[in-house]
Amino acid sequence: MDANALIQSIAQSSDRQAFVKLFDHFAPRVKGLLMRQGTPADLAEELAQETLLMVWRKASLFDPARAGASTWIAAIARNLRIDAARREKRSRLPDVFDILQGEEPEQPDQVLDGSERDSRVRAALTSLSPDQLRVVHLAFMEGLSHQDVAKRLSIPLGTVKSRLRLAMARMRGSLEDLR
Amino acid sequence: MSASHRPSQETLAAFAAGRLDEGLALVVAAHVEVNLESRRDLAEIEALSGALLDTIEPEPMAADARTLSVALPHRNIELPPRPVAPPDAAGLHVIAPYTLGRWKSVGRGVALRRVDVPGSDARVFMLRAQPGTRLPAHRHTGAEWTTIVAGAYQHEYGRYAAGDFDEADDRHAHTPMVDPIEGCTCIVALTGNVRFEGIVGRLLQPFVRL
Repeated sequence: MDANALIQSIAQSSDRQAFVKLFDHFAPRVKGLLMRQGTPADLAEELAQETLLMVWRKASLFDPARAGASTWIAAIARNLRIDAARREKRSRLPDVFDILQGEEPEQPDQVLDGSERDSRVRAALTSLSPDQLRVVHLAFMEGLSHQDVAKRLSIPLGTVKSRLRLAMARMRGSLEDLR
Repeated sequence: MSASHRPSQETLAAFAAGRLDEGLALVVAAHVEVNLESRRDLAEIEALSGALLDTIEPEPMAADARTLSVALPHRNIELPPRPVAPPDAAGLHVIAPYTLGRWKSVGRGVALRRVDVPGSDARVFMLRAQPGTRLPAHRHTGAEWTTIVAGAYQHEYGRYAAGDFDEADDRHAHTPMVDPIEGCTCIVALTGNVRFEGIVGRLLQPFVRL
């Protein structure tokens, strides 16, 4: 499945088949992600649907040179989660993330292709050990502090830090020529 | 404290996941807006989140994509205009979604303006200091996160210039000295209590207690 192409197809021709394919792949994963982050199943279902509807509506804003499909969709899901957690006093953080996203880089020649970065990062992930991967999940997917990762896995803080260091070095290494 | 005057990887990860207090997050965002290296780190963390999304165990959806696809709305949507930064925010864009108070002079060349961040446990404000001002010595019980928006200051832990991020916590007491030529404008988020010492400090106290 070429998710980038599917989103572009929605942007160009409101392609409903493309929507169905994207939904079938991403909605269950967004739901799984949100539940892992502590969102109740009902709300996770609702937010996963909303995330894919947002993909439909905002497809023409998708720019694979900035970020690949998964990264773009993960950011949409994050913004909806922040929104949902703060219905009473509306959070402005999703606006802040949009502004950061929209800011033109100061040195365009240093910008690397977002989709290329995504596939390198994905490849680097597959080279991690299960132990490293678990720590990366908790620290980056769930945004836990290193202390909380250590507590969750009942391992020493130093072990968390060294596993993350190795994992990040692996990822950085795979991006070296692009940086 | 990081010698590079940037947020730690851990802080950036919490920011990217939307897990930071919004006031602290705004100060990080002000830094990321101008710092190319942190912007790249953030892009990498977001790419990592995207790659991890693909590895998540899928959770079956109750909704059916084919049924939903029939009722999809028309795609020609009007996007709301992006909020515009106020002209006197020293070019800072990320502050645009927030309501700013008026600049209030607190004497001795220092002025403050409140940044209203609903739902935040931190007190957030912009601070503007005249060239050569010595900011009052103070200690923290919580965090004091600062991004320099323009100008510079220097304290026991180094010199901080435009775009730099300064993360102080309860281990530090410091006496920032504002650049003698450029002055300094920064955005600050405070959690917990700050105890100021000296006369300007007593003037500042009511403001940061807001």
